[in-house]
Amino acid sequence: MNAKVERAIYIGIIAVLAILLISFGKKEVELKKQIPLTAEELYKKLGNPKITLQIIDVRPYQPSEEEEDEAEEVDYYTLLHIPGSIPLPECDESKAPEDALQQINPYLPTVIVSKDGNPEIFKKCAKKFSIVQNLKGGIEAWDDAGYPEDEGEYEPPAAGGGGGCL
Amino acid sequence: MSITERLLFWLGIVVLVIALVGVKADLSKLEQQVQQVSQTASEGGEE
Repeated sequence: MNAKVERAIYIGIIAVLAILLISFGKKEVELKKQIPLTAEELYKKLGNPKITLQIIDVRPYQPSEEEEDEAEEVDYYTLLHIPGSIPLPECDESKAPEDALQQINPYLPTVIVSKDGNPEIFKKCAKKFSIVQNLKGGIEAWDDAGYPEDEGEYEPPAAGGGGGCL
Repeated sequence: MSITERLLFWLGIVVLVIALVGVKADLSKLEQQVQQVSQTASEGGEE
């Protein structure tokens, strides 16, 4: 067989296989979006330094003065949140603190945290991130499971600080 | 075409095929999980 023809055949086979692999990869990302992450799975992932993950909290940031007395902890970011999570209320950049906006990376694997894991809120927010999953049961599930929690205003990680937020 | 070149092409093809089989297996698992999730969601909705 002519060397040029043989080479073209090999390159063709490799190209077809590569295209298939890419399309399977895209399908995998799409399917993962549909499977919510449980609080336990998220906790395990956060404990693994090899996994880079950003947690986006879409609950309102803090209660107003009138709401303060009646506010439940799970309703607001400042009253209770997963350590290291980034506030992005209602997935609206205009409602997020300035420091938090600078930390958001749309290309990192992302977990969306709402009050109760509402799929509608997740769908709205998922469009903004390339690899994204919902936290099943939201912050309520995390709180019920007794995993580490934090409270107060958002503090961006110190420059040069190591990964891992637990 | 030299034997080395041919060998490299075959090596590339084998690596890609192995990766494809691995990703396909992952996809099947994910599809099952998605089905379970949607079933649970629909059962929850009926209650």
